[in-house]
Amino acid sequence: MREPVWEFLIVNYLFLGGLSAGLYFVSGLATWIQDRECKPAYPALARLGALLAPWPVSLGSALLILDLGKPLRFWKLFMHVRWRSPMSIGSWLLVAFTILSLAYLWSWLDDAERRRWIGRVPRRAYAMLPAFLRAWLEADGAPRRRILALAGLPMSVAVGIYTGVLLGAVQSRPFWNTNLVAQMFLFSALSSGAATLVLLRFLSKDRPGLRELRFLYGLDIILMGLELFIVLPYLIHGNLSSLAVKEALGLVMGGPFTFAFWGVFLGLGLLAPLAVELWEFKPFLLGRGPFHVNPRWAMVAGALVLIGGYTLRYVFVFAGQATGF
Amino acid sequence: MGTKTKTKRYAMVIDSKKCIDCKACVVACKAENKVPEGVFRNWISVERSGDYPKLRMTFEPEQCHHCDEPSCVRVCPTGASWQREDGIVLVDYDACIGCKYCIIACPYEARYHNPETHTVDKCTFCVHRVDKGDLPACVETCPSKVRVFGDLNDPKSPLHQLLATRRHEVKNPQTGNGPQLYYLL
Repeated sequence: MREPVWEFLIVNYLFLGGLSAGLYFVSGLATWIQDRECKPAYPALARLGALLAPWPVSLGSALLILDLGKPLRFWKLFMHVRWRSPMSIGSWLLVAFTILSLAYLWSWLDDAERRRWIGRVPRRAYAMLPAFLRAWLEADGAPRRRILALAGLPMSVAVGIYTGVLLGAVQSRPFWNTNLVAQMFLFSALSSGAATLVLLRFLSKDRPGLRELRFLYGLDIILMGLELFIVLPYLIHGNLSSLAVKEALGLVMGGPFTFAFWGVFLGLGLLAPLAVELWEFKPFLLGRGPFHVNPRWAMVAGALVLIGGYTLRYVFVFAGQATGF
Repeated sequence: MGTKTKTKRYAMVIDSKKCIDCKACVVACKAENKVPEGVFRNWISVERSGDYPKLRMTFEPEQCHHCDEPSCVRVCPTGASWQREDGIVLVDYDACIGCKYCIIACPYEARYHNPETHTVDKCTFCVHRVDKGDLPACVETCPSKVRVFGDLNDPKSPLHQLLATRRHEVKNPQTGNGPQLYYLL
């Protein structure tokens, strides 16, 4: 086995980038879906997601820069557009996503909040901004929430899928080089966003209502179900594939990453929270029985999804680099 | 030389049966290219098989394969990894940001992170010598003449003749990289 050159900084970045994508995606859906009065159906959820979305990816990008051998040269990434390099496309995508998510966050601030933030900027610096930008910053964001939410949906899918493409597009690493890794990372990213929102909504003062919970649980169950249906073919197909792929999968089929993959990621991080959420969701599935929410279980499920998402990235980054032809 | 108009395509033939694992090529490369301690641009992989007294040991020199479709060049986000017209794959040290994506993308593990410059580094086929008409240091120094360096497009080169008359293989062609180190069988 060879020494890894990408280590925990990259694992953290892949996780944080995916988390932001998930937060924006779920918040975007919660904004875009409207109630009878044509207002965002789940405003508390949408606002929380919008306020959080830009930060994990910003931290992740900082880690990514720190991981460079020459961190001060990171700007050279933006001197080129290289369509065949996933990292080049990804760098541009991260910038676009971060700007869009900040605009979306701004649209969810109320008048007083906006004024407070603008007040913190030195007056002279603020005056130097172009007039249209100042007008945009000062105007009420509510009317553009929905369009920013809608724009965020494909953008967050792109960022979520990119973290997988970065690994999957490397033909020399058979553990990564399948057409399933990108989707696996995408659904894991989106469900980590949903899980974070479950966790934080239960920790906030205004507990989530039944409708909101039904939306969150339903979404998370769908995302985790999709993830499961990517992971299983990945394992089955890989074991039926060429020798290099089969040997690479050996790392999680009895090799050093077996426990992390099956125990922590698949068992604890995917099946367990899926079971908890399905159990909680049962009254809606069966159409009968009282819907009593257990906040502890909900938060445990949310935390487990996050642990699973992190472990998935840990296993892929390290196991993938150990494989080759 | 004379009438040749085709561009050059540099490659290397390796007759590993002649290799005695003396590592003179490794030392020559280190000295020629000032390769830092702990990292290597070329190495000799040793494969043992069988049990005493019936056993066999094979030595295979390895380094960058200067591929036709180099995956390191494809994944590089800044264009620091690039390929000359004559096929030699190089790193532009001023453009390299040290993201290490190319190290991961190389199927031959030919690249390393230079602990002194913090950029990625690799075999250059000793371009500074080749461009003057000399041979790469590893080729010149090899006492058992394992390595033959030359232009694939020059029918008169010893390399061309070896490939025309001897059976040979390239390593891991299934990666699609089109490697240009030819191992004689």
